[in-house]
Amino acid sequence: MSVVLRLKAPLAARLDLEGLTPAALAGKAPAEVEAIALPHGGRSVALGELFAIRAGTEGRLVLEGGDARLDGVGAGLAAGEILVEGDVGAHAGRGMAGGVLRIGGHAGDELAAGLTGGRIEIDGNAGARAGAAPSGARRGMAGGVVLIRGHAGERAGERQRGGLILIEGDAGAEAATDMIAGTLAVGGRFAPGAGRGMKRGTLIARATPDLAEGFADTGTHDLVALRLIARRVPDLAGLIAAAVRARRLVGDRLQGGLGEVLVLEEGAASPA
Amino acid sequence: MIVNGVEIRDSFAEAFPMVGTRLIITADTPDWAMTAARVTTGFATSVIGCGCEAGVERVIPPEDTPDGRPGVAILIFAMDFKGLKTVVPLRLGQCVLTCPTTACYAGVEGGKRVPLAKTIRYFGDGFQTSKKFGDKRFWRVPVMDGEFVCDEDTGSVEGVGGGNILILARSRGQALHAAEQAVKAMSKVEGVILPFPGGVVRSGSKVGSKYKALFASTNDAYCPTLRGVGASALPEEVGSVMEIVIDGVSFEAVAQATRAGIEAVCEVGAARGVVAIDAGNYGGNLGPFHFKLREIMGGGA
Repeated sequence: MSVVLRLKAPLAARLDLEGLTPAALAGKAPAEVEAIALPHGGRSVALGELFAIRAGTEGRLVLEGGDARLDGVGAGLAAGEILVEGDVGAHAGRGMAGGVLRIGGHAGDELAAGLTGGRIEIDGNAGARAGAAPSGARRGMAGGVVLIRGHAGERAGERQRGGLILIEGDAGAEAATDMIAGTLAVGGRFAPGAGRGMKRGTLIARATPDLAEGFADTGTHDLVALRLIARRVPDLAGLIAAAVRARRLVGDRLQGGLGEVLVLEEGAASPA
Repeated sequence: MIVNGVEIRDSFAEAFPMVGTRLIITADTPDWAMTAARVTTGFATSVIGCGCEAGVERVIPPEDTPDGRPGVAILIFAMDFKGLKTVVPLRLGQCVLTCPTTACYAGVEGGKRVPLAKTIRYFGDGFQTSKKFGDKRFWRVPVMDGEFVCDEDTGSVEGVGGGNILILARSRGQALHAAEQAVKAMSKVEGVILPFPGGVVRSGSKVGSKYKALFASTNDAYCPTLRGVGASALPEEVGSVMEIVIDGVSFEAVAQATRAGIEAVCEVGAARGVVAIDAGNYGGNLGPFHFKLREIMGGGA
């Protein structure tokens, strides 16, 4: 069944919702859904004990009201949609391969860690290491889109190797550390220390960030790629808008990296 | 069937399956986009000697191109997919990559993939970078005027090659004028190219030759200076013949271009020297696509 869940009371301990996806709930009778066992603090608790459950729209799981102790929301999602009308805890969307996860509030640490596909949108702020490597893994997100309308904590995009992270607010310290590939765009400001150890990949910024050592300034260029991205990637159209020129900083050269930071320059193209 | 004094002969064009693709070339100015398009589709009149047939399909306004700059769409056709995979990267590397300010994008979504930057990117000597958004990857190759931006690959279509019309007129000037009008009209049809110089070929060919080494030779039945020497298809008043060859992404596109061409030639009419419209075929046994002139014009026998 497709369900709408509402917490009966604020959580007294952390609750792990990993694997609770529309696909996992499909074909289950209400009694079976209520009986699903979830790790809660140091024990296992039935879903029905913590949530009021009612039927919802096919292919969609809705969580009415959130809680910063709700971990692993949308982790393992491959198809369908999960909507959270509130905050979530750590590891939201971890290892997601497809589908859509929308979070109305804030998210904890390691949002979208190890993401390979699909789309995550959060209206609030994200904790540390958004899009980074999940615990025990060597590489961060490899595909998909993460849209953070608020701010992101430190080390967003750490070891990211693909996909797009768009932070409309500010990015915390040391963003894109050891980035391998992919794109991290920030509408607000980068906190100091971004880009240390970058191998490849692109950071898009509106103002020159206080980067880690090791970036070569190649100057400002009229980049055809920006025009293409602005049209081909609707998520970045707003940020890039009319910018066709960007200052291009390449690094981390101290480690032989060829990552880039594109600092958008508003205004007309270069003189003909 | 006679339109405006022009006889439309009860004949058909015999065409063959070809594999084709479309590239969208953009540049800082319309002129440079067209320069790249013309050079890339140069020396591509006939697969017999060029390995492919290519031409400019249409001009694309900036608002409709992938990067918002002026663009030109070109079509390239080869006899098989292997041939297409060979000629496209060669032409891309020699003619688009080298042309100032250009970028090149996939113009066909579906079908087997033809490599573009997938091979050309190595020109970047390790400094090339790719970006992948959704399932589309493009490459940025550093070059001396900035960056060459190019899609990883493009799709392909099973097209039709060798559609044609023959314009029979009283004089060479009149045949050429009618052909020019036809080219103008046919160029407006989407999904086709006219691969010969200016869209017109004056050396139409027949299959085979008295010389063993040649696959094709002059179409002597339509050469006015040979009338009476052998079997001729030309009545006495015909002094010159021009042919227009059409390659297209589909049977419908080629049929539509054929109709547009015939209409334009008939518009010129007998008053300005056009005698008849004919088509080249090999008896119908070689090519699977037959464009029957009278059927296309909606007339009976």
